[in-house]
Amino acid sequence: MNKKSLSKQIYDARWCYVFVLPCLILTGMFVIYPIGMSWYFSLLDWSGFTKEAKFIGLQNYYEAVNDEFFWDAFIRSFIFMFGTVPVKIVLGFIIAVFLNNQVLKLAPFFRTVIFMPVVTAIAIIGIVMTFVFSPFNGPANKFLMSTNLTSAPIDFLGNPDTVLPTVMGVYVWKWLGITMMYWLAALQTVPQDVYDAAKIDGAEGYRLWIHIILPIVLPFAIVIILVEAVGALNVFPLIETMTAGGPFFSSEVMEIYIFRTAFVTDSGTMPRLGYACAAGVFWGVAVLFITVLQGLWMRRTRRI
Amino acid sequence: MKKKKELKISRRTVMKGALAAGAMMSAGSIPSKLFAGEFNIPDPLKPLPTTGGNMRWIDSGDMKGVFWKKLFPEYAASRGITIEYDGLPWKEINKIVPIAIRNGTVHDVFQLPLGMDPGVAVSEGWVQPWDDYIENLDEWLANFPAGVYLPGVNQFNGKTYGLCLTANKRTGTCLLYSEKYMSEAGYDPQAGRMTYSEIRDAAKKITKRGNGQYYGWIIGGNQVNRWEDVVHTFGQVAGAHGGRGGFTNRHINFQNGKFQIASDQYMEAVELLLQLKSDGSAFPGVMSMNAPQARALMPQGAAGMIFQGPWCIGVWGRDAPEWKYGIASEPVPDGKKAQPLYIAEGGSNTLWLSANSTMGPFAGDLIRFMGTEQGQIYWAQTVGAADPAVNPEAVAKAGLTGPSAQALAMFAENLLVGPNPIVRNKDVGVVAAKSRVPDPSLALVIQGLYTGQLKGVEAQLKDCNQRYEDALDQAVEEARADGANVTRDDWVFPNWDINSNYGASKYSEL
Repeated sequence: MNKKSLSKQIYDARWCYVFVLPCLILTGMFVIYPIGMSWYFSLLDWSGFTKEAKFIGLQNYYEAVNDEFFWDAFIRSFIFMFGTVPVKIVLGFIIAVFLNNQVLKLAPFFRTVIFMPVVTAIAIIGIVMTFVFSPFNGPANKFLMSTNLTSAPIDFLGNPDTVLPTVMGVYVWKWLGITMMYWLAALQTVPQDVYDAAKIDGAEGYRLWIHIILPIVLPFAIVIILVEAVGALNVFPLIETMTAGGPFFSSEVMEIYIFRTAFVTDSGTMPRLGYACAAGVFWGVAVLFITVLQGLWMRRTRRI
Repeated sequence: MKKKKELKISRRTVMKGALAAGAMMSAGSIPSKLFAGEFNIPDPLKPLPTTGGNMRWIDSGDMKGVFWKKLFPEYAASRGITIEYDGLPWKEINKIVPIAIRNGTVHDVFQLPLGMDPGVAVSEGWVQPWDDYIENLDEWLANFPAGVYLPGVNQFNGKTYGLCLTANKRTGTCLLYSEKYMSEAGYDPQAGRMTYSEIRDAAKKITKRGNGQYYGWIIGGNQVNRWEDVVHTFGQVAGAHGGRGGFTNRHINFQNGKFQIASDQYMEAVELLLQLKSDGSAFPGVMSMNAPQARALMPQGAAGMIFQGPWCIGVWGRDAPEWKYGIASEPVPDGKKAQPLYIAEGGSNTLWLSANSTMGPFAGDLIRFMGTEQGQIYWAQTVGAADPAVNPEAVAKAGLTGPSAQALAMFAENLLVGPNPIVRNKDVGVVAAKSRVPDPSLALVIQGLYTGQLKGVEAQLKDCNQRYEDALDQAVEEARADGANVTRDDWVFPNWDINSNYGASKYSEL
């Protein structure tokens, strides 16, 4: 067989490359270049906007891994992820199962209601939630007080013990609709004849779901978990608008930590873009590691 | 049967309404048209370019924004240009300006982020001097009080880069209170400076009367600088004499050049805040609100006292004109006499001209007018005590009354000019550029103590003090390594008399 040379193959597929080119250029400009530059900046002692930038090797990394606030924020990010993703996955699945039932007449209405927070601007939600959870005349506290669930108002966002769970709750509420949609899409791939066959075989109720439907949608679950996990590690706008990482770092996740060190602080000192990049690169690698692990898990599950 | 008339609202009607509401909101609560023709703007001293253009201006807003929104339309119309004004909180300026400088898109006229050394802005070439844009600059500068324009502060290499229209003679932690609640509690802050015990007692009584509807005291606790501002100023009033401003001035006792974060005065101030909390007198939820939110709750009757600045006067006057409140000096620890507060030489709200700007002739013409006595009177009449005009004679002629006049009188009585290391040695600016506030900063330490996440006031403040000492030592060391001629002795002013202004003659004695 006459094998074509590489250049000939490229030439033959030239229109494919032409059509891919805009995407490659944009990816290069807005993904590859910033990633590359952040690696480079992380090796500099640099405020980010002065001419003076001193190459200091891995010193920023050394400083970051020796900073207790860095590790606190790092761990807090994972607490946030482990606290929200399972809740969203389980709740989203349960809601999707109910709303996937075509007998339920109001399913479109409930889908819309649950999906509505997803399309609302996150900064607006963050600000509105500070009023909702205000201990002074906030509706959440008014409800708790009027139903005698508490005798005194709770400072949900000002108390170090309640701030993170509160923000996590808001995050789950805000993005639950998208998880529900993922599950609905997954459930709609289950052929109707599988349901019918299962029913003929006598599988109903939870047995139908556990033994028949769940194994079919499991590969989707892995993808959903992956997407949700990465999403839960990117919560900057919500936390910045609701608490800015406070009080006293109680809700400071990695992105807030990076932001705090990358810009001029309230205390009024020069920002440290080089250091912030080092923290960001470290964080990016950690997230990538988790993503790869999940990818491997997904591949293994598919084989099963 | 008569058909019921239906209310029909089309999408277009809704859009029109939304657009109108948006336009009203973006214009602020004071429509600028109302003030058309209010200013007598003189002709320029020399012909301005006839090409027009758009001038972009950014500053920290508040009452300054109210004034500029009145003046800019009129000035722009008189000169055939347009002006785009952004009045933003410092937190936003700290983020936006550095990025805009980096991108080359910074406004024509801007304020530098807090704590940024102006010397860096000049040496980096971000700004250009005003000298070419203000006619008879030397004569114009002579109208300002001594100490406003200084080499190393706003003048570099014999040129003037930073222009100040406002004085820095003010504090941001005055006692602002509801007249009704305070009088019901049996206190009159106008009768004399209140003590810490009286503040606590008044707060307790107000809270008791409020019975859950209102509380004794409020603070915007998630805006961390508020904690530091209160402790810093209260500490100074109690006798911890020291500097104000950025990291290389703030909290430093210029008698010995050391940080005084762990002083008894600072500890007492922190204890007062903790006691207000433990007494149950603090408004619930202070940790989840910023300073403007806390300020906005005062006229709503949510609390009896707040420690904030004179900028509240203008905002409350505009938003709640019927509400009766008073302004008084910061409290003092029991049995102690209030000590002076110190400000650094120079003005405040320094305005810088972007190196890329082509609107220098217009910006210079406008600022020149604002620096004249008439311009300063206009400023004082609108801005009042929030950002006092730098020319004291103009302030006197502005005919201010009420809380504004009272606040200015209070500042005149309480504030003195203290030493400023950068005036003594411009290489201190290099140290400022190298400085990093240690983590956690004093502001965060106080917040942590308040929330209970940190324990032991004395131990925490001592730790914090040591971190600040180490950070300044390190910055000095790095500056010296870069060739700066500076030592920690530059922060020691042995000839400082704490009861008098520290002026040019004192620097020359060193």
